[in-house]
Amino acid sequence: MTAITIDHVSRSFGTVRAVDDVSLEIRDGEFFTLLGPSGCGKTTLLRTIAGFADLTAGQIRFGDRRIDTLPPHRRNTGMVFQNYAIFPNLTVGGNVAYGLKARSVPDGQMRERVSRALKLVHLDGYTERWPHQLSGGQLQRVAIARCLVIEPEVLLLDEPLSNLDAKLRVEMRAEIRQLQQQLKITAIYVTHDQEEALAMSDRIAVMRSGRLEQVASPQAIYRAPATPFVAEFMGTTNLLSGTIAGRDGETLRIQVGQQEFRAHGDGRQGETVTFSLRPETVRLLAPGESAPAGWSVLHTDLAHVEFLGAITRLDLAVGNGATLRVASLDVLPDELKARGRISAAYDPRRVTVFRNG
Amino acid sequence: MTALVSRRDTFPLTITVLAFAFLGLFLLYPLLNVFSASFIDRSGTHFTLANYARMLSNSFYLGSLYNSLLLGVLSTLVTIVIGVPLAFCLARLPIPGKSALLALAALPLVLPSFIAAYSLVLLLGRAGIVSRFLRDIGIPFTSIYGMTGLTVTFALTLFPFVVFPTLAAFKAVDISVEEAGQNLGSSRWRTFWTVTVPIVMPAVLAGGLLVFIDVIESFGVPFVLAEDKPILAVEAYKLFVGETGGNPASAGVLGVLLIICTAAALLVQRYYLGRRRFSTAARRTPPELVVAPWLRRLAATYSWGIVLIALIPFFAVIVISFMEFRGPVMHPNLSLNNFRDLLNQSSRPLVNTLVLSTAAAVLAALIGVPIGYAITRFRSKASDLLDVIAMTPFAVAGTVLAIGLVISFNSGWLVLTGGWLILVLAWTVRKIPFNVRASAAILHQIDPSLEEASINLGVSPLMTFIRLTVPLMMGGVIGGIVLTWVTVASELSSTVVLYSGPWATMTIVMFQALEGTGAGIASAAATVLIAVTVLPVALVYRLLRRHELGMM
Repeated sequence: MTAITIDHVSRSFGTVRAVDDVSLEIRDGEFFTLLGPSGCGKTTLLRTIAGFADLTAGQIRFGDRRIDTLPPHRRNTGMVFQNYAIFPNLTVGGNVAYGLKARSVPDGQMRERVSRALKLVHLDGYTERWPHQLSGGQLQRVAIARCLVIEPEVLLLDEPLSNLDAKLRVEMRAEIRQLQQQLKITAIYVTHDQEEALAMSDRIAVMRSGRLEQVASPQAIYRAPATPFVAEFMGTTNLLSGTIAGRDGETLRIQVGQQEFRAHGDGRQGETVTFSLRPETVRLLAPGESAPAGWSVLHTDLAHVEFLGAITRLDLAVGNGATLRVASLDVLPDELKARGRISAAYDPRRVTVFRNG
Repeated sequence: MTALVSRRDTFPLTITVLAFAFLGLFLLYPLLNVFSASFIDRSGTHFTLANYARMLSNSFYLGSLYNSLLLGVLSTLVTIVIGVPLAFCLARLPIPGKSALLALAALPLVLPSFIAAYSLVLLLGRAGIVSRFLRDIGIPFTSIYGMTGLTVTFALTLFPFVVFPTLAAFKAVDISVEEAGQNLGSSRWRTFWTVTVPIVMPAVLAGGLLVFIDVIESFGVPFVLAEDKPILAVEAYKLFVGETGGNPASAGVLGVLLIICTAAALLVQRYYLGRRRFSTAARRTPPELVVAPWLRRLAATYSWGIVLIALIPFFAVIVISFMEFRGPVMHPNLSLNNFRDLLNQSSRPLVNTLVLSTAAAVLAALIGVPIGYAITRFRSKASDLLDVIAMTPFAVAGTVLAIGLVISFNSGWLVLTGGWLILVLAWTVRKIPFNVRASAAILHQIDPSLEEASINLGVSPLMTFIRLTVPLMMGGVIGGIVLTWVTVASELSSTVVLYSGPWATMTIVMFQALEGTGAGIASAAATVLIAVTVLPVALVYRLLRRHELGMM
């Protein structure tokens, strides 16, 4: 039962600030994800919590206890490594018992705790197996059991699924999430995979160049990105720039080339803004079909179309060479091409406006 | 991501401090004394360059510098000329019995080279068996003393230094690079010269450099074969232990010249080769080439020929040791008399060799492995410096280190001369570079996250090293200890300066027999040394192979 406070933490390598003045409050029992492209500092931040990277500045606390001054082997964190880091010279049982031995747990109790931990990750009966006899997914389970058995205050996971194949990745992420919920353990999860982050987390921190870009729930981060970077990093989006032509109540009119877009947001007339409009929120209107109430409609030309089976992806010309990417279910390219001009509708409340500067 | 654990941990610091203390006392301090001996005048107080002026204006000693360098260059060139084609054959052509050939090709590296030199004297010296035979049938052959004999001996004993890195490089050339060359319209032959050779070249030069340094530092081979040609390492020894009472200043000058030669070669390696790494990280190892049968036969003959010829001297000395000697004259009757004589003299040298080599091999591993660990896992300015210092013995001839140790520990607060410990210390220091490099190489195979996982689970860095890293390294460490043991058991250059009465080793027995007339005893001692070297290597080779298969 541990809340984690990351208090103005910085970590520099030479002149490079890998983590740059980051402050976070991670709640007790929360599944918290550090998400970002490679080199954004997410792994370094995780390693400062584990104690494998020193702080250049700041503090880290578990509850009220300051832990960044402790050596890594006294922090009682359980870390799951990207490459599993299973000791090849020990059996599965030996691996799981490793941390208990360091804690001088008596034999009988140790055996019981090891088998309980293995059962938790569905590896009961694997105690005597050797690591080289296991598959990648099983090794990952051993790594998790090895961490959980020492009952750490915090579970740290460093891209644990990136070495697994796609299908197993999906299975394991559900399993890890379920395990975390069941044990109510505070978990910090590092990944560069936004889908993984959205699927597993209570909250996500998007990082970029050592700084926090946004901290919010998965839904908020996807629906209401705080910056263009977050909008683009979380899935696909259209980032368009235009000039505010005017305002109708809550709705801004933004001129992009010959097209006028409508969006909920703030801004002065004449101001240049960037806005994000997700492809899946744009709906193609059949000839004669009218848009839902409050929606905006665009009439444009088809610039490009890609048939992907379930989804058809199309680019609509919006003038000045800019295009609007749309993802549409269950339409055929030939049918669209036959239409000539395309009508597309979107909800202005689903447009996110970023004011420059 | 370089720091494995935080700066608060004392473990890497402890290793570094202890390593600096050991190397400072038994490597840097002795070397400093060699330097200062060469720069101090007769009164022992004033700085002077007179020693250098005197030595370098003496045509005999200047000749020794010239001869050493010439010998180094000649031997390196010959080694490359025979080694590179051999490496190519082994890498790319179908040679019958290739795995056996590879094992045999490595043997000259562990066998004592001065035994090969001595064997050549027995066969091709002035009164050599073959020389006499040649003269009897009317071929005017005098002897192989001098540059020819030296170059031949070095080429035959040191060619594996070139062959193995080059072989690895030939195998590391990604076949698609060659294919790309051909695809771009280059002929097979042109592709070889313009694509393959440049990729392999750094490995060839790295191997050649090892040969050069080994030749320059060698004491035993020139002692046996140079005859009246002055050679640096031999003259430094003679000046230091000379009958006229010893001359540390003059010996120091030659010692410093030796160090300058080897250090210069190492600097060439660092600043020239260091920038030319064409690793192509072969995804597809090149397949064996399909060539005409006559070429295949030629390649097989060449490969087996070189390897077997290199082993002939060792084989010959073993055969000779079982012959009957009456005085200096050999009779073609089988006999064990030589071994009886050898052991009658005293079995002490054999015991000394076995016990002291073991002590040195274990000590070198105990010091070298933690240093290797510190420099691979805890990179810092201190560990970089430690890396450089730990490699220094590589550039210091055994003779020079031994001279330094005698000057340093002959009197004062710590007297070591006359005992066994000074031998063990000298050998240990000489083998530290090998142990450090070997353990660093093993550690590069072990993912650091294993150690982090252990620390994360609550085991301190020190205990992680002992309970996890050392067991994981064990196979390689044992291999390293055995190789150290083997090369220490046949070490001559430092031993000959440092041994005293009761602490003579088998190499010293041989050395003394060389100067006397006891070819019988010398060859018996050589046979014992060969056995002592080959047996453990063969044993460990088998054990490790089984061990590795078991781990698969």
